[in-house]
Amino acid sequence: MSAILNPRPEAGAAEGAAPAGRGRIELKGLSMAFGEGAARVDAVQSFDLTVAPGEFVSIIGPSGCGKSSLLNVVAGFMPPTEGSVLLDGVPIKGPGPERGVVFQQYSLFPWMSVRKNVEFGLKMQGVAVSKRQTTARTLLGLAGLLAFENHYPDQLSGGMKQRVGIVRALATSPQVMLMDEPFGALDAQTRVVMQQILTNMWQKFRLSVLFITHDIEEAIFLSDRVYVMTARPGRIKAEVAIPLPRPRTAEMMSSIEFTQILHKLRNLIREESLAAMGHELSAGGLEGFATEVGPAGVQQLV
Amino acid sequence: MSSLPLRLIDADEPGEPAVPGAAAPHSPLAAVPNATAGLERPSPPAAAVSGEGIPLRLARALRVHLTALLLGASSLGGLVLFWHLATTHRWDFYIRFTNLPTPQEVAVQLGMALDNVKFIQNVGMSLRRIAIGFLVATVLGVALGLAIGRYRLLRQLVFPAIEALRPIPAIAWVPISIMLWPDNEVSIVFITFIGAFFPILLNTVAGVQAVDAVLLRAGQCLGAREPQLMWHVVLPGAAPQIFTGLAVGMGVAWVSLIAAEMISGQFGVGYFTWEAYSLISYADIVLGMITIGVLGLGCSWLIRAASRLALPWLAYSKPSSQA
Repeated sequence: MSAILNPRPEAGAAEGAAPAGRGRIELKGLSMAFGEGAARVDAVQSFDLTVAPGEFVSIIGPSGCGKSSLLNVVAGFMPPTEGSVLLDGVPIKGPGPERGVVFQQYSLFPWMSVRKNVEFGLKMQGVAVSKRQTTARTLLGLAGLLAFENHYPDQLSGGMKQRVGIVRALATSPQVMLMDEPFGALDAQTRVVMQQILTNMWQKFRLSVLFITHDIEEAIFLSDRVYVMTARPGRIKAEVAIPLPRPRTAEMMSSIEFTQILHKLRNLIREESLAAMGHELSAGGLEGFATEVGPAGVQQLV
Repeated sequence: MSSLPLRLIDADEPGEPAVPGAAAPHSPLAAVPNATAGLERPSPPAAAVSGEGIPLRLARALRVHLTALLLGASSLGGLVLFWHLATTHRWDFYIRFTNLPTPQEVAVQLGMALDNVKFIQNVGMSLRRIAIGFLVATVLGVALGLAIGRYRLLRQLVFPAIEALRPIPAIAWVPISIMLWPDNEVSIVFITFIGAFFPILLNTVAGVQAVDAVLLRAGQCLGAREPQLMWHVVLPGAAPQIFTGLAVGMGVAWVSLIAAEMISGQFGVGYFTWEAYSLISYADIVLGMITIGVLGLGCSWLIRAASRLALPWLAYSKPSSQA
């Protein structure tokens, strides 16, 4: 238990000082395809990616570029069509508790109280009742959720559900966290707060994180590095380091550095979104309308 | 009965947030405590809860409740009144009420029956058959349903056979059942079992298939292996629909039991009712019918109570799936 709860001292001090070897994710020449023959769809193609131990890496890309497929492979839900996926040099064979996953949809078990949800992973490992209760309560306490330990998930707001989801994933002391647009279902205000909470949590735990999002600002704010994916089939279009200092604060989002990175990434993504939507944006699509219609409405046009 | 008004108050306020007024705890991990407060579901404004005044809420609940009570009473009263008028005046207009017992006669008969050991034995016999048949159907139906719902190959192997047997009503099994089982008692229990089994099985299968895939994935990611996943995720995930199956199954079990008792029985309320007909003891026929109705009602009430106990979380889920 103490291993989970002891945040590595002064983790933010030196990037290179992260403990060696624990929680390194490597994707080598990864390709993913669905379907056979003519119906074959290439989701991801020859993808190389590394997450160093203790590093926060985001993947952004236009919708449908295969971001989620990528994460599903790392989580072990599906095997890669080609290439290899390694965690600390060992090929990933299936889902496991050493990789905590936070899903976009709320994935708390609705029939368990908040505390039982957090205990679930430890229960599966056969940890004794009293011990896993203590662990769950300690973690919930650290996350400011202890008052809700006996609530059912359906009694919580969306933001709280995702916080409990993150705490639940942390309870088994994973080496890496995989997050698939975890804040995608939340409203804009809640998202901003959740990002702040997540970066603070990460600061304390210093896990390797692979984070999928389509929100560019979110990716910059949270990450050490951001991979930009191309439209389907998803390849790496660019890899951008985020040199903003740690710990991150909300004020940084209006700094010049932040804005510069934002512009750069936005342009990269814009190209890809246009490419992704290309077939549906023929004649006049992007302009909105090819002809001036004016306030008089469509009647006049006809 | 006394708990009803309380429940009504709850039902009256569907929009009331379930999170109690506890202030959002200060989160040590959040750098922006002010904004964190906005994250929690807003606690119900104190004024809305207590300011309106408890007497007022109680009065409103009572009014709603009283109306329902009065309407319910007049519905039942109307039925008995019609029965009373039809039998005392011996109405005869194509439908003949000439031989039917009056409510008073049945009431007298009930008083006598409750002192009669044989009547009590009949009731006990039926309840025992229901208990055994329903229990076996529950165990087999849920176990098989979980496996069939989860494993496609097994489903493809077993389902055609089930689909072939399912449309045959339990009553149609009576002759075969008598031949199949060594004694009458087992064959009646078997009919009861058949009646309950299919609704339980099919609802369990549907419940398993409706379990959100993300919950299964979450379970796997947290280290649950297949048996654990089955017990801790699939079963509780399918539980609401399993209870629907149990409720339906209980209803069909009674239908099947009564039919079986009437045809092949010795003892049991179905047998009692049919025997009363043969003995031209008309008041007993109606007494039997009422007994069957009350027992069936009691059993489905038991299932509903069990479901409320077993699935307390359903009270909070959005589309309130409770009756």
